Amino acid sequence: MVVNEALRILRTVRYDAAHFSVFLQAGSIAAAAKPGQFVMIQAGDGLRPYLRRAFSVADVTTVAGVPGIELVVRAVGVGTEALGRFAEGTPIPVLGPLGVPFPIEDLKQSDRVALVAGGIGLAPLVLLARRLAERGIPADLFYGGRNESEVLKRPDFERFLGAHRCRYATDDGSLGKKGRVTDIFGAALDAGTSYRRVFACGPVPMFRALAAILEARGVEGSFALESEMACGFGVCLGCVLPGRDGRFHTICTEGPCLPPTAIDWSRV
Amino acid sequence: MSVDLTVHLGRLTLKNPIATASGTFGYGLEFAEFVDLSSLGAISVKGLSLRPCLGNPPPRICETDAGMLNAIGLQNVGIEEFLGEKLPRLHEARATVIANVWGDTEAEYRAVVERIGDDPRVAAVELNVSCPNVVKGGMVFGNDPAALGALVAAVRPATRLPLVVKLSPNVTDVVAAARAAVEGGADVLSLINTLVGLSIDIETREPKIGFTTGGLSGPAIRPVAVRMVWEVRRALPHVPIFGIGGIETAEHVVEFLIAGANAVQVGTASFRDPGISGRLVRDLARWCERHGVERVSDLTATLKTRPRPEKAYV
Repeated sequence: MVVNEALRILRTVRYDAAHFSVFLQAGSIAAAAKPGQFVMIQAGDGLRPYLRRAFSVADVTTVAGVPGIELVVRAVGVGTEALGRFAEGTPIPVLGPLGVPFPIEDLKQSDRVALVAGGIGLAPLVLLARRLAERGIPADLFYGGRNESEVLKRPDFERFLGAHRCRYATDDGSLGKKGRVTDIFGAALDAGTSYRRVFACGPVPMFRALAAILEARGVEGSFALESEMACGFGVCLGCVLPGRDGRFHTICTEGPCLPPTAIDWSRV
Repeated sequence: MSVDLTVHLGRLTLKNPIATASGTFGYGLEFAEFVDLSSLGAISVKGLSLRPCLGNPPPRICETDAGMLNAIGLQNVGIEEFLGEKLPRLHEARATVIANVWGDTEAEYRAVVERIGDDPRVAAVELNVSCPNVVKGGMVFGNDPAALGALVAAVRPATRLPLVVKLSPNVTDVVAAARAAVEGGADVLSLINTLVGLSIDIETREPKIGFTTGGLSGPAIRPVAVRMVWEVRRALPHVPIFGIGGIETAEHVVEFLIAGANAVQVGTASFRDPGISGRLVRDLARWCERHGVERVSDLTATLKTRPRPEKAYV
C-alpha cells in the first residue's frame, strides 16, 4: 500500500555542514517499507523546488516511541537544502513506499552477501543491513567516498554486521584504504571471498566499475539506482535509463533496485 | 446548496470539468490507488501511436522554477496494447476516457484513429498536434494552420466520436491554429500543450535534457495558457475548450473557466500529488458553494475586460 499524505517531521539530526538525517512520523510507511524502497518528498513551498524529491528509506525506527522513517540526506541543491530547513513538527507531503526493493527474501544464513556504497549511496543500505542482521545473513560492507567527510559515520553498520566486516576507502586516503571502494571490493574477491549477491548504491562511475567486476566474475548484483524523477510512480517516464535490451527502464517502478546486467552502462 | 458540476463540450458531456492531461496521467490505472477514476470529468491517456514507441534517450526531464521541462518523446505502449490491456480496465473502473493519439504522418494519425473507430468505451479522441519533443509529426502539424486543417480533415471521417484537437502554444497566432482545426472538423479544442524551453548546465555547458530542448509545464506557464484560452474564446465564441496549463487549485480552475474554458485538464500537478485531480473536483464544488455559483458552466467566458487605451499615454 502506498501512502500519500502529509507527515510530521519528528527530528532533524545534523552530522556536518552537508549531511543530515530527517526522521518522519510514518507509521504505515515504516511498517510497509522494504530495504531499497524510496519515498517522494515535497520540500520547500511547492514552487521552488517544484517537484518532489526521491529519497531512499534509510531506516525504520522510533523517535521517542513514535514510529517513523529516517532519510539520510546530503544537501546538494534546492530540494535537499529546503528539506533541512523544516522545523520539527512541520507536516510535509510524502508518497511511499515506492519501487522494487533489494531482493533478499531468498537469502539463507549460509549465504554471504556484500554491501557496496559510495558517498550518500550508503542511505538505502542501513535498512538492508538491519534486515540482514535480523535474519542472521552475514554481510560485508565496502564503503567509500572522495574523502573522509563524504563517508558517513554510521555506527549501525558495525553494530549490525560487526566491525571487522566494515571496510572503508577514500580517494585521498583520509579514511580507510587509499583508493576506490571498488578496489577494496575487488581485492576481497581476489583474496578468495565469494558472495551470493552484491547490493550497491552510489554514483554512476562506481556502478559502472562494479558492474564490470561483477559481470567478469559472474557474481549476482542488485543496484539501487538513482535518476531524476518527477512522479516516482511510473507515469512521467522521466527517470528512464537505457537497458541492454534496447528498451528504457523506468527506474521508479522497474527499479530502483535492478540487476546491473539490465542496464547498458556504456549509454548511461 | 448543491452545485451542478456538469459541463457540455458540444456532444461531449462530462460529470465535472476536471479532466487529466495526456502525458501526465499514464493510462489512468496507475492512479487508481490515489483517485477514484470514475469521479473525474475525464482522463486523457498518454499519447497513443500505431506502434509502441520507446521514447527519447535520457536525461528526459529537468526541474525549473515553478515547473519542469520534459522531452519524453511520446513513449507509449501503442494502440493495440491500449485497446487490449488498458481500456477494458479503465472501462471497468467507469472512467471517462479520452484517447490522445499522435503519428509521424497524416496516414498514421488516421490509422490510429480508425483503430479506435467508434469504440463506445472511449468518450472522445484527442489529436496531439503539438508535442515539441519528437522529430517528426507532433508540433510540425500544430505550427502550420494549413497542415493542421488538412490533418484534422483527413482524420475526421475515421471516427464519429467527438474529436478534440490539442493546440500548441509555440505559435505566433493561436487563433489561426484554432480556426484551422475547427474548419477541419474539430469538435473541441484543448490548449495549451507545453512551451518549448531550454535549460543549460552552465558547468558542462550542455543542455540539461538529452533532446536539447524540452516542453515547459507547471505553474510557470499558467498565465500564457489563460491568455490563449481567452484569445481563442473571443475569436470562436461557440467552440468548446479544455483549458490546460499549471492548474494546481480550484481557484486556478475557475480562472480558466472565466477566461473561456468549458473544462480543464490538470497536468504536471499530478506528478507532484497523484491525488490532486480528485481533490480539485471536491474543492471546485466547495468554491462554487461559497460563491453562490449553482452551475459551474455559468462561469465560462465571464471575463470582464477593461477597454484598452487606443494610444500610448505620453
